[in-house]
Amino acid sequence: MSSPEPAAGVGAVGLGAANGHGGTAAAAPDPARPRGGGLASLLASETATLFRRWRTWAMLAALALIPILIAIAIRVAGPSSPGRGPAFLDQVAGNGLFVGVTALVVATPLFLPLTIAVVSGDTIAGEASLGTLRYLLIAPAGRLRLLSVKYVVAAVFCAAAALTVIVVGTLIGWVLFPIGPVTLLSGGEISVGEGLLRLLAIGAYVAVSMLGLSAIGLFASTLTVVPVGAMAATAILAVVAQIIGAIPQLEWTHPFLFTDRWFDFADLLRSPPSWESFGDNAMLQAAWIAVFGGLAAWRFATRDILS
Amino acid sequence: MSPRRTGPSRFRARTVVPAVGVPVAIAVAVLVPMQANATVDLPDKTPEELIAFVKSSDVDALSGTIEQRSELGLPDLGALMGGSGAGSDPGPGAGDADGGDSAASDTFSDLVSLATGSFDANVYLDGEHARLQVLDRMAERNVYVNPGEAWFVDSESQTATRLSVADDADVEGLEAELERLAAEAKDAAKAEVEAELPDGEQLPTPQQLLDRALDRLDETTEVSVGTDGRVAGRDVYELVLEPRTDETLVGEIRVAVDGENGAALAASVTARGADAPAFETGFTDVSFAAPDPSVFVFEPSASYAVEQEELPLPTVAELQQWVAEAQAREGGEADDAADVPPPVVHGEGWATVVEVDAATVAEAMAEHRAETGADADPDAGEGVAPATEAHFTEGEALDLLDTLTTPVDGGRALQTSLLSVLFTDDGRVLAGSVPVDTLVGYAESGR
Repeated sequence: MSSPEPAAGVGAVGLGAANGHGGTAAAAPDPARPRGGGLASLLASETATLFRRWRTWAMLAALALIPILIAIAIRVAGPSSPGRGPAFLDQVAGNGLFVGVTALVVATPLFLPLTIAVVSGDTIAGEASLGTLRYLLIAPAGRLRLLSVKYVVAAVFCAAAALTVIVVGTLIGWVLFPIGPVTLLSGGEISVGEGLLRLLAIGAYVAVSMLGLSAIGLFASTLTVVPVGAMAATAILAVVAQIIGAIPQLEWTHPFLFTDRWFDFADLLRSPPSWESFGDNAMLQAAWIAVFGGLAAWRFATRDILS
Repeated sequence: MSPRRTGPSRFRARTVVPAVGVPVAIAVAVLVPMQANATVDLPDKTPEELIAFVKSSDVDALSGTIEQRSELGLPDLGALMGGSGAGSDPGPGAGDADGGDSAASDTFSDLVSLATGSFDANVYLDGEHARLQVLDRMAERNVYVNPGEAWFVDSESQTATRLSVADDADVEGLEAELERLAAEAKDAAKAEVEAELPDGEQLPTPQQLLDRALDRLDETTEVSVGTDGRVAGRDVYELVLEPRTDETLVGEIRVAVDGENGAALAASVTARGADAPAFETGFTDVSFAAPDPSVFVFEPSASYAVEQEELPLPTVAELQQWVAEAQAREGGEADDAADVPPPVVHGEGWATVVEVDAATVAEAMAEHRAETGADADPDAGEGVAPATEAHFTEGEALDLLDTLTTPVDGGRALQTSLLSVLFTDDGRVLAGSVPVDTLVGYAESGR
């Protein structure tokens, strides 16, 4: 019979802190609310927090800069010749719809994983470093639920990042270059409308590609209270995985690397489009999410939260 | 507020179980099907029955994905060779035509790299159309073959090359003529077989002919049926060909044959003493239903450079003349001395070595450009030298040759896992699927 009094007291403090942290959640948490509602509002508040941050917008702006730079460079310096520069660059001058794809080719190895690492590495460690983590946990959400919400928010950023590149690329391409039927890798053409659909599919592919890395970032984030450490570790892993992927002697490891299918989004530009690689990539990422999500859950559930 | 019901121990069990359980479940899900594949048992067949089965296969429509891996121990010749012809004979028509221009030979060396490189590709076949779609990363190469035309499409160079027969070519007449020649050859072969048969025995059935062919094969090669396996999710027989001689570099050739319809689904060539195949190709996924007709349709995009190549088909009269010439050449060898000397052949069967005089080849090349070089040496290694003429200065060519080859007694040798080529100091080229030492031996004895 010792618990109710102090628990209620701590709960009140925790809710106050969580509100201060969570913005839109200000009106929401009511101790009597069912848990499902709590989860939805937690998700809403966490997503809102992410997109209220200057840092998030700065990263999205940096990603948007890639297609803009490519488009302006091609516009000023003239078309690139086939076989030089990143894939699809030679197509840009003829068809602005390729700006987005080219930008994704450029962004996928480093810039995109970097932003994903920042967001996913910050999930838990960021709260811990601010000292808000224990308050979040006192709110009736549960550790696993908090972790899931944090991961979903990181996944939302993956989609936002990929879409930013595609959408900004398409818009700037539309402004600066002629738009016409899209030339597929197989040498044939499809209409602009179908081309736009394929671009969206490519955006979805890239977003899915980043989910495994997000799970790794989430796990790294549960290991430390220093968010920069988790971010750096995640970003470095993304680069290391790609280096391993480039060494033929380690070929047996390649199918297991989360980076292995990052560039297969070009399969969606074939005729007939190959959805097989989309499915394979999703399976691969799901495996990484399961493993590192599981590790993160284990670590987060068993560790002592001191901050 | 209700008191917390989740004590530390319960909390742990609820999170730790999925945390550990999920990875374990995935591991099980991955490993169990791998074990389940292990046993395949098809009705037993003797090698003879299996070969007859393959021959009777009538698969003409399929779609699937093939994976080709080649580790011949060669540097990337495709990059070095550049445009001009390299490797096998491009076929009777193109062979004698006066130099295809660079685009045609580009296409040709692209096709060579398709035959010897490593790639994943989709294959589509129906009765009269075929398409090979090579899935490169961020790029694609396509070969479309439709009645009367063929396309070679390369997304990296953004070119589409259309190969077609000239409008005025008498395709039907040629076909009839070829058929007539084939029938003649068949009759000749039949007569030859009959002549070999003991008196009184009737002409063999196809089965008997096959048996005889197998007997011939058996002299040089041990043919056996390996263990049944699975390729692309289908039960397959395995046909194993092993050279009976130790003198060749080829260790064994394995062919996987579909247990239901006799189509070849995979093949591999292993070098003698090696564990892993030096060259393997096979389906990872296959369906024997006719593919959607739309996959065969190719309409080049406006942004592609389209090149037209006409296959220089000979007229019927020309064809007859060539055949007559070839027969005459077979009859009297003295005639050849004036022209290009024929390659010298050492050894037999798997250990055959072909020797040509590089100086003569070079001379002939000046007249016939790449094709003659290819004729003189059907083995791929020779491609290095002719290519250099078109693209490098002599010094660069020698440097290139030096980096590709190692010095041996009396020359320089190129050794790959399945093929050796020796360039002797006195200008001969020897090639064969044998160790370099054998080539050196022939070179010395032939001097």
